Amino acid sequence: MGKPLSTLVFLLLFINCVYSWKKDEFRNCNQTPFCKRARSRKPGSCSLIAADVSISDGDLVAKLIPKESSQENPAKPLVLTISAYQDGVMRLKIDEDQTLAPPRKKRFEVPDVIVPEFLNKKLWLQRLKEERIEGGLVISSVVYLSEGYEGVIRHDPFEVFVRESGENGKKVLSLNSNGLFDFEQLKENKEDNEDWEEKFRTHTDKRPYGPQSISFDVSFYDADFPTKGPGVDDSEPYRLFNLDVFEYAHDSPFGLYGSVPFMTSHGKSRGSSGFFWLNAAEMQIDVFSPGWNNEYSSVLMLPTDQKRVDTLWMSEAGVVDAFFFIGPKPKDVVRQYTSVTGTSALPQSFAIAYHQCRWNYRDEEDVYNVDAKFDEHDIPYDVLWLDIEHTDGKRYFTWDKMLFPNPEEMQNKLAAKGRRMVTIVDPHIKRDESYYIHKEASEKGYYVKDSSGKDFDGWCWSGSSSYIDMVNPEIRSWWAEKFSYENYVGSTPSLYIWNDMNEPSVFNGPEVSMPRDALHHGDVEHRELHNAYGYYFHMATAEGLVKRNDGKDRPFVLSRAFFPGSQRYGAVWTGDNSADWDHLRVSVPMTLTLGLTGISFSGADIGGFFGNPDTELLVRWYQLGAYYPFFRGHAHHDTKRREPWLFGERNTELMREAIHIRYMLLPYFYTLFREANATGIPVIRPLWMEFPSDEKTFSNDEAFMVGNGLLVQGIYTQRAKHVSVYLPGDESWYDMKSGSAYKGRAIHKLEALEDSIPSFQRAGTIIPRKDRFRRSSTQMEYDPYTLVIALNSSKSAEGELYVDDGKTFEFQQGSYIHRRFTFSNGRLTSSNAGPATAGDHKYVSECTVERIILLGLSTQPKTALIEPENRKVDITWGPLLLRGGPGPSVLTIRKPNVRIADDWTIQIL
Amino acid sequence: MKFFGLLDLLLFGCFILLIHGITESAASSPLKDPLLGVSPEDENYFKGFSTSSMIKCKDGSKKFNKSQLNDDFCDCSDGSDEPGTSACPNGKFYCKNAGHSPLILYSSRVNDGICDCCDGSDEYDGKTKCLNTCWEAGKTARDKLKKKIATYVEGVTLRRQEIEKAKLAIAKEEGELSKLKDEEKILKPLVEKLKERKEQIEKVEEEERLRIEKEENKKKEAEEAEKKETKAEDIEHAHDDIQDNIGTVDQPPQDENIGEDTESLSREELGRRIASRWTGEKTDQHEEVDASSPDKDHQNTDELSNETNYDEEDNAYTSEEDEHKFDDDDDDDSKDQVDDFGTDDHYNPTPSQKLDSDDESDFSDISGTSGSSWLEKIQKTVKTMLDAVKLFQTPVNISDAAHVRKEYDESSAKLSKIQSRISSLTKKLNQDLGPEKEFYSFYGQCFETKQNKYVYKVCPFKQATQVEGYSTTRLGSWEKFEDSYRVMQFLNGDKCWNGPDRSMKVKLRCGLKNELTDVDEPSRCEYMALLATPALCVDSRLKELQDKLDSLNKQLPQLHDEL
Repeated sequence: MGKPLSTLVFLLLFINCVYSWKKDEFRNCNQTPFCKRARSRKPGSCSLIAADVSISDGDLVAKLIPKESSQENPAKPLVLTISAYQDGVMRLKIDEDQTLAPPRKKRFEVPDVIVPEFLNKKLWLQRLKEERIEGGLVISSVVYLSEGYEGVIRHDPFEVFVRESGENGKKVLSLNSNGLFDFEQLKENKEDNEDWEEKFRTHTDKRPYGPQSISFDVSFYDADFPTKGPGVDDSEPYRLFNLDVFEYAHDSPFGLYGSVPFMTSHGKSRGSSGFFWLNAAEMQIDVFSPGWNNEYSSVLMLPTDQKRVDTLWMSEAGVVDAFFFIGPKPKDVVRQYTSVTGTSALPQSFAIAYHQCRWNYRDEEDVYNVDAKFDEHDIPYDVLWLDIEHTDGKRYFTWDKMLFPNPEEMQNKLAAKGRRMVTIVDPHIKRDESYYIHKEASEKGYYVKDSSGKDFDGWCWSGSSSYIDMVNPEIRSWWAEKFSYENYVGSTPSLYIWNDMNEPSVFNGPEVSMPRDALHHGDVEHRELHNAYGYYFHMATAEGLVKRNDGKDRPFVLSRAFFPGSQRYGAVWTGDNSADWDHLRVSVPMTLTLGLTGISFSGADIGGFFGNPDTELLVRWYQLGAYYPFFRGHAHHDTKRREPWLFGERNTELMREAIHIRYMLLPYFYTLFREANATGIPVIRPLWMEFPSDEKTFSNDEAFMVGNGLLVQGIYTQRAKHVSVYLPGDESWYDMKSGSAYKGRAIHKLEALEDSIPSFQRAGTIIPRKDRFRRSSTQMEYDPYTLVIALNSSKSAEGELYVDDGKTFEFQQGSYIHRRFTFSNGRLTSSNAGPATAGDHKYVSECTVERIILLGLSTQPKTALIEPENRKVDITWGPLLLRGGPGPSVLTIRKPNVRIADDWTIQIL
Repeated sequence: MKFFGLLDLLLFGCFILLIHGITESAASSPLKDPLLGVSPEDENYFKGFSTSSMIKCKDGSKKFNKSQLNDDFCDCSDGSDEPGTSACPNGKFYCKNAGHSPLILYSSRVNDGICDCCDGSDEYDGKTKCLNTCWEAGKTARDKLKKKIATYVEGVTLRRQEIEKAKLAIAKEEGELSKLKDEEKILKPLVEKLKERKEQIEKVEEEERLRIEKEENKKKEAEEAEKKETKAEDIEHAHDDIQDNIGTVDQPPQDENIGEDTESLSREELGRRIASRWTGEKTDQHEEVDASSPDKDHQNTDELSNETNYDEEDNAYTSEEDEHKFDDDDDDDSKDQVDDFGTDDHYNPTPSQKLDSDDESDFSDISGTSGSSWLEKIQKTVKTMLDAVKLFQTPVNISDAAHVRKEYDESSAKLSKIQSRISSLTKKLNQDLGPEKEFYSFYGQCFETKQNKYVYKVCPFKQATQVEGYSTTRLGSWEKFEDSYRVMQFLNGDKCWNGPDRSMKVKLRCGLKNELTDVDEPSRCEYMALLATPALCVDSRLKELQDKLDSLNKQLPQLHDEL
């Protein structure tokens, strides 16, 4: 019994409460011609067969032709290419044949998403093996894929799949097994009575190139049907179309701000596999219930001995450029996927601390007051944000001179306390001749054009606006220059950027976005790249922040829209959520899903953007949000102020504690961010990623893992008395607050505490902390560490610590400290997990370990011996947590004061 | 360019750290002063070590020995063993700040690279060098404190005077009130008697009139009939006019609702409308935005909220109605005036007060020292009058009748003035004017301040408003004093679009004159303002300030010793 998790990015969840979401302003499948057409097609209706199958230039190539092509209308063949890459990735491309009469237009392939290193991992296919399957009736061509796996193309009807090696090897993933493949080739002219235009509400899409959609079915094997949450309307496919949805429903399959057309499946018996279609046009994906195609079982030759989930992928334009990931572990799939689209960038250390935002901190005085209040209440924060109102009339890169007369001084004052600021820069440019960005962009022709070739003019915050054409690298480079200190007047090195509205949001456009027939660089229609627009904008902005420091420092850019690869450029957040418990609840699956698609650095607005959270909800949100990879409080300008000190002494204390938990765990988080950067494995993970064979974890998305060592369970209801938490695996778990041990593989009903949500350290792990609290993470740099060792049943544990300068790209040259801590046989060892020699780029740190906490030790030793120094230190009873009142006492090695950079062992005597 | 500077600085920081780290790990020595960061109140607590090798953490959770005191490791979760280091997150660090006032810091500020104590004692690990700025800072603080004390000294006097004045005024008003009540007691029956008499006279007159009319009717029947015909026509015309008028007024105002049907909108309107979902602004009445004129545009998108437009329209509508009312109901005019008198009580003259001079002067004839004489006069007159016209003759003596009527009109007008004065005085005296009635002078007063294009007007015990041009937005009605009479609260103002009702809090500070400043809107539609007033210059606070200054001054010689 396994279940695949649809990793179609964003919200798959629960409960109906659609308030303001204007459903009828957005298209459903029936109002979307290509979706409607694709869904009306019957299984087995694809008549294409593979011909001329051969090996060429290390790829398998073939032509797809109709089995019976008619004389009067000879169909043009399609070209199919299969390539294999290291580490179990198969790539399938299908496009029109460019060698034939040149088509009217080349179909769009999404540039700058696949990382160059991936292309170097290509395996040069040498050999093609032909085999007859299904009783010798059907010919298939087989190529090697990776150890134990093969890629297969069946010729008639054509089907592409990955299987375990051998003629009877089990299928893993397949395409067109249900015969739903369809590829609308571009035509020269309209056929009679064919209407290419499309109307939706007041907008008309001219569609000058006619229908050009692609659809096909993909099957995931040894996986069960994914349970969609109750309330999700099964009649609608998941829609991948980046949209700015006002007061979005948390339970809808409709499109939101970002799209990642990547699906992971997971089952107990075989494990995980994944499928990714690199395509930036509107996509719709159906996940079928079992038995949906029973009436066609005679025409289809599907294996009956394997459980299977069928899906239908439909896109409005583009080509087939699909990737099959063989897994078999959940982490393998993420690693394989991020080998194609890149891993998460390593953020600067300040960026993973707490951010304070509001639409809007009104003026400099307001900024200073808020900053001072944090200090007054001993609440740390690292970044203060300014929303759109800080600009001069929504002209980005400018300041309202009345409200922010001295922006540099303001930033410097905050920087003196180690704090940063963020300003917002959106892609809509005010059409104002006196605005230099507009002037340059219009003179250079850098705007997206409308279908008539004029600069597209849409309505957004700045009123009548045009949109920078970010798909063009030259324009991105021009945009990046705008972030230099000379160009962005009033910016300082402590200023970072927030990209909003980059779906793009166009208030008076179709579905609050850009018309699909708008034109980009190279005559690419907007429909072909819509979902990637925000990605390119994010990319260009991040480039700008790198450039302004001559490539020395890591950028920080938060983006609302995202696409495969966004993880390389910065953080994303779940957009304009609402201050209600359902949105708190859904924030977990949303951020977990983002993590599965490689976008590790994400979070939801603490408190909910729209509406006023009651105090309890706000406190619970801080308690949960402290574990989001991206941790930011934000609020709409119609809401009441909600800075943590505004709700009475007790609630201030509760929120302060929640934020302090995050600061305490920063060394652990930073180590996890580095892991995500190196391997793609997300910072927060669904339980099944760590416990892939524990079925009870498969549908659990209310608890999650932070790394492999911490399990966090949110509290999602008001005045909760109790909270149930499932602790997976065979080992026990230690309550992070009380230190008490809980059995694994069991549901525990716990008392819901006011001052924290349940969190547990997994036995067998070592978690690094910094227990001293400062104004911001900046001042914690030299503070000593605490190691918390939670012993498993064999009295051993291990963990890691990664440290670098927290700022520059030097770590890429090996300038970092990476330690592995192992505890076994009563001895803790610190060894190097990084490069043996870092050469000139050695990162130096004098930081020491001030405290080692031992959980699960049955003896009560009094001393420990540190080697090689041969120094004895005391073991005493000390507090598990230094804050939050008198807590339990735990065995503590007092002041070992060993340097984190060194090799050492500590023997418990 | 600046950036390189910063980088250098950081590298430099690392370098220092390196050296420091070596010395520290080699020495690993306790602090030079084991009692660093200990406040004077806690010195006794640590004297425990003179009698015992271990003392208890303040929260009793544990014991620690002398070597654990300030050894940069947190043994007590309440921080009692680490007053001088950052090891305990719950700890507090005390800096003497000789020459200035002592400061208690969160432990998190110790050795964090930022100078918090003016004597620099919080940064002792060598990574950050802090200059001792206590002398300058102390001087500035003392000067500031002295100024504040000076204000208080003067303010306390002013406050006392205010309170004295208030006591006198209240006593006077209470006296007046009881006198007015007495007068009312006397005048009321008189007016009733006069009314009775007046009605009797009128009855007789009416009978007389009817009799004469009958006779004349007979005589002029023919002509009358003719006249009537023409008159009827006129009336009909007039009636039509009125109906027309009503018709115009009754027309509902333009539909304010944002229709969900966006089909018929221009592209720009559509853009504005969608934007308005996030901003909560109304879009219907947006003026055309001229993109080429940045200033105007800025105003339009940022400041010119549509609520204001809406209000203006609302006002326009009301005033139109008022005008109409005025035309129709001339008779009600006098009643309106009486109402005004009752509600708008502007009795106490102050600089920023606006007197309703009509009411005040009107009233002067019944108030004041001559009060009793006019009442006696009336009593006498009425008595004579009633005696004189004991028996009615028919027809009524015309001059007598006029006399009675006049007397009735005058005395009933006086009675209603007295009654409304009684009600306003009662209302005023029932207000919470502060424990010492120090807010007496606020009654009937308004304080104004202009901020950008808005004029904020705070009228204690009444309401707070925001005025922009001809448009007034109510920020709240008087609710109460809060926070021991340090805050005035106004609630239930005009509703914000998509938000709460507006409200305002006015924080009160000691100052030499009543002055409204610093209006702010920290949350949307929740306003804040500061009001300086002598009413807040309390003796006890003055004493606190003086004590503080004394203690600051005491530290001075010590500082000189150190220097």
